[in-house]
Amino acid sequence: MTATAQNELETSVQIGADGRARVIFRGHLDAQTVPACWNKLALDLRVAKLETLEVDASGLQFCDGAGLALLRYLNMGKMTPGAAVSVVGMKADLEKLFNGFTSEDYEAFRPQSQMKCRSLPDEVGGWVRRVTADLREQVEFCGSVVSNLPAAFFDRKRMRWEEVRRVFELAGANAVPIVSLISVLVGLIIAFEALQPLAQFGAQIYVVNMIGLLMVRELGPLLAAIILAGRSGSAFAAEIGTMKINEELNALTTLGLDPVRFLVVQRITAGILLTPLLTFYATFMGVVGGVLVTLGLGFQLALIFHQLTTSVHLSDVAFGAAKGVVFGAIVSAVGCLRGLQTQQGPSAVGISTTRAVVTSILLIVMADAVFSILFFFLKR
Amino acid sequence: MSDPAEIIISVRGLKTGYGDKVILQNINFEVRRGEVFMILGGSGSGKSTLLKNLIGLYPPMEGEVWIEGSNLVTADENQRLLLFRKFGVMYQSGALFGSMNLLENVRLPLDELTALPAPAKELIALAKLKLVGLGASAQKMPSELSGGMQKRAAIARAMTLEPRILFLDEPSAGLDPVTSAGLDRLIKDLAHHYGITFVIVTHDLASIYSIADRVIMLDGGTRMIVAEGKPADLRDNAADPWLRRFFNREPEPDHSAQLN
Repeated sequence: MTATAQNELETSVQIGADGRARVIFRGHLDAQTVPACWNKLALDLRVAKLETLEVDASGLQFCDGAGLALLRYLNMGKMTPGAAVSVVGMKADLEKLFNGFTSEDYEAFRPQSQMKCRSLPDEVGGWVRRVTADLREQVEFCGSVVSNLPAAFFDRKRMRWEEVRRVFELAGANAVPIVSLISVLVGLIIAFEALQPLAQFGAQIYVVNMIGLLMVRELGPLLAAIILAGRSGSAFAAEIGTMKINEELNALTTLGLDPVRFLVVQRITAGILLTPLLTFYATFMGVVGGVLVTLGLGFQLALIFHQLTTSVHLSDVAFGAAKGVVFGAIVSAVGCLRGLQTQQGPSAVGISTTRAVVTSILLIVMADAVFSILFFFLKR
Repeated sequence: MSDPAEIIISVRGLKTGYGDKVILQNINFEVRRGEVFMILGGSGSGKSTLLKNLIGLYPPMEGEVWIEGSNLVTADENQRLLLFRKFGVMYQSGALFGSMNLLENVRLPLDELTALPAPAKELIALAKLKLVGLGASAQKMPSELSGGMQKRAAIARAMTLEPRILFLDEPSAGLDPVTSAGLDRLIKDLAHHYGITFVIVTHDLASIYSIADRVIMLDGGTRMIVAEGKPADLRDNAADPWLRRFFNREPEPDHSAQLN
């Protein structure tokens, strides 16, 4: 026989040689006393193969939900597999609470194993179905935008230019500091990284040519678009997604207003107009970063300028601007689409913003690859 | 006069507001153990602000909030944590965690705040869910439930640590009359069988007449309690015309005049 006192609970465990055991509780069986008591009983009752277990609850002065859980756990025989368990001596009110949640309830409500193993064709089929459904929504969205955009441009009533101006300021003007910092640093990094290999051939001055071409044709548009995707594409998705959850989109529809015409067209217009400007600015700041490095090496500004103007042509600048227009349209359209696709639930807006950024960057890189192939064949 | 031994919540000289703006002042009332106590008032009368003061989410400008003999307003961090264990709160939207199923929602306080073994936590959580009639929905996500079921689940979660007091914010808001009546019956049963004290902020007249033992009425104009007592008494005997209109659900006279 063992006896222990834990705070206000005394637990006695009596195990007979004939496989009969008895547990006696006295005092308070509550959330404070149950953990230690539970562990002790699990150890004490495991030592022998029991045939019967009697739990004497007549000495309990207080028993809360934790105490009831222990009594029910003992009663279900979870600590004494194979033994017949009875709980005796409960006061009437405690017995009523004890019977409020039975072993049958536990078996009916407890979590069942939810491991579901889907077959490979099932998985692939599900994936294809999701991708094609998303593709269909994208095509429908593109159709809706294309049908609304020209009409909105030429009809002052259909285009809310005040909203375009607001988006232009938020997504464009407010992005200038971060675009400046990142572009200058990228120009600086590329210049430093390129200097060492070029120095082996005594060709450090060609860093300027490289920076000029790289920033104008590739990195300027890419930096502007990626910053726009992270900063504004996600904001478009969050804003429209929240509006959808708040049923504001439903309100627009029942007022007879097409959400694409009312919300999306303005954002895409702003995106198309501002991204080439951000692209030029990012290009300029990136070149400034590279020029600062070459100036630091002692090259004359006139020489640097000459190298730049001979290596970068107007067609390169136009090419960068064209990329800016396309990237701007991609980022703003994807942000709006993901916002419109927002589902219900607390994580829905977060999912939409993540999808907006990921899809935008993916499509930007794919569009960039198309531009590169196109430029290669045009220049031949 | 109420017996002090029975008083579980006591609010004394409470003044509350935001910034310099005073919303309520000179608020004094007591809640007795085991009663269903309702806080009523028109829109913007400060009911929700008062509830935030009572549950310690927002400090009042002045005054005391005594819960089971401890002043929540002056309590230090450790005392506040102990006081939080003495009451549960059901928010208007239910505020269930959307990424967890019902069982996980209800088990969360046990996981975080007790040293109970895992089977005990599961048994307690399932028992609480059964108590509110949601045992069979233990593995459903909150998004799969109706508004009434979400509120029931929120009550189960609020009861997990077996508090003596439950604060409910607009429990019948957005529910149909049948679901609302079911929730009223649950509150009544929990108060009767488990001795839980309920403090409820509501507008719902049917609930007020059905389950409230006592009510206080807040007035946004005077920023004070303008009536206190049993709802039927206030309905039948209120001298103030606005109070009579509130308890008899009648519109302001000039509303119909404008339409006519």
